Amino acid sequence: MFPGRKSPLTAPTALVSNDRMDRNDHAAIQAVLAGDKDAYGALVVRHSHTLFRVAYRITGNEADAEDAVQEAFLRGYRKLEGFESRANFGTWIYRIAVHCALDKVKRRKSGETGRVAETNDPEQDQVQVADEAAGPERLLLSGEIGSLQMDALHSLTATERTAFVLRHMEDCTTVEIGAALGIEPNAAKQAVFRAVQKMRRRLAPLRMATRCM
Amino acid sequence: MHVTEEEMIVEFYGESDKPAAVERHLAGCPECAQAFAELKSDLADVSRLEAPARDARYGERVWAAIAPALPVYAKQERRWGAGGWWAGGFLTNPWLRGIGYAAACALLVSCAFYAGRIWEQKTQQPMAKVEPKASQAKQPIVVVVLDDHLDRSERFLVQLKHADMDSAQMASPLRDEARSLLAANRVCRKNLVKTSDPELATALDHLDSLLAEAANEPGGLNAGSIAKLQDEMNADALLFEVRVLRTRITDHARSGDNPAKGGTI
Repeated sequence: MFPGRKSPLTAPTALVSNDRMDRNDHAAIQAVLAGDKDAYGALVVRHSHTLFRVAYRITGNEADAEDAVQEAFLRGYRKLEGFESRANFGTWIYRIAVHCALDKVKRRKSGETGRVAETNDPEQDQVQVADEAAGPERLLLSGEIGSLQMDALHSLTATERTAFVLRHMEDCTTVEIGAALGIEPNAAKQAVFRAVQKMRRRLAPLRMATRCM
Repeated sequence: MHVTEEEMIVEFYGESDKPAAVERHLAGCPECAQAFAELKSDLADVSRLEAPARDARYGERVWAAIAPALPVYAKQERRWGAGGWWAGGFLTNPWLRGIGYAAACALLVSCAFYAGRIWEQKTQQPMAKVEPKASQAKQPIVVVVLDDHLDRSERFLVQLKHADMDSAQMASPLRDEARSLLAANRVCRKNLVKTSDPELATALDHLDSLLAEAANEPGGLNAGSIAKLQDEMNADALLFEVRVLRTRITDHARSGDNPAKGGTI
């Protein structure tokens, strides 16, 4: 194993199977289907933080993430009859939330076509850093790093961005990413490749700047 | 043969099919080792985007927001169950349920088509009597799909919700979109009010009132009028209402493989 490498096939926090939670979730689902609507509230309370985290990472925006979480639980409720008792509710609703967040990004992208020309401007790829390695300049650089990373993430297509977030930040495997996005694992792998390549290209000026300091 | 970038990425994320071979190569090839070190450094620099913390009551707020829109499963069962053995089968058998949704969608499409035809006849006949010009071009028929209409409306409401009140650039496209949506919304109302869906009819009424204000604001939209519209939208929980309906209609349309038609212009 190389130092710093993530352990293979690490399951994301949301996908970790927890027997007790599974049993509680299944009991709540049965109660909902038997007419106790409020039992769904327990599922919402239990899983909303996880869903918000992944939705925020995909959308990069609090308002969109909150909308995606609500939409995911709504869709989940309406499809609850089709939920298989052997499945894990956390995994199931997590995938729905990924879809909702992905939809948000796609819609936003379709409304932002004008912005693409701006972000392709090579001038913008340059990190403006001071020559002197003083404290304030370093702080400025860390701000630049954050903003450059956000720009780099925004430059990806919705699918690439989601695949990258699930792989790099949520520690999902390629198979899990494929299942969450509804694509073949190989297509998910390719989406991660493209995302990493684009991210590296976009962040190359950052590498140069940090080396100079 | 060097290790490709793709193989390095797979290796970095621990999903390589042949990790031992890759590691052996990297140990003996300074060029690839250097490239892999750079890849690791680049990806290590990409921080995990930390989501802003939600307080402990966040889940309860989500539940409070969606609960009113959720039907009770048992009530549906009782309603259908009272009809006889076929109704029980309808509930439990996904095939029957799918057929039911498809039939409902087909009925809705037929009603919308029929209503559209009647509407066309009613609007075109008087015009023909007043001014019977043979050269007059036929009005283009635009099929308004309810699903699309709600989708567009939702996008409009989201734009309105996040509208920058100091930006005059946003005001004009918002007003144009409101005008376009207003026409479509009225057709949908006309045709769908007749169906037994009071939730949908109420939502379309609310939407109509908001769109009419946005489209006909004297002197165009400005910071004041946008704020007023945002208040009205929030007071009626319109965005949420539209979102719920769209989700429901999308689900039904998918089940029946048939989009719900709203009517014709």
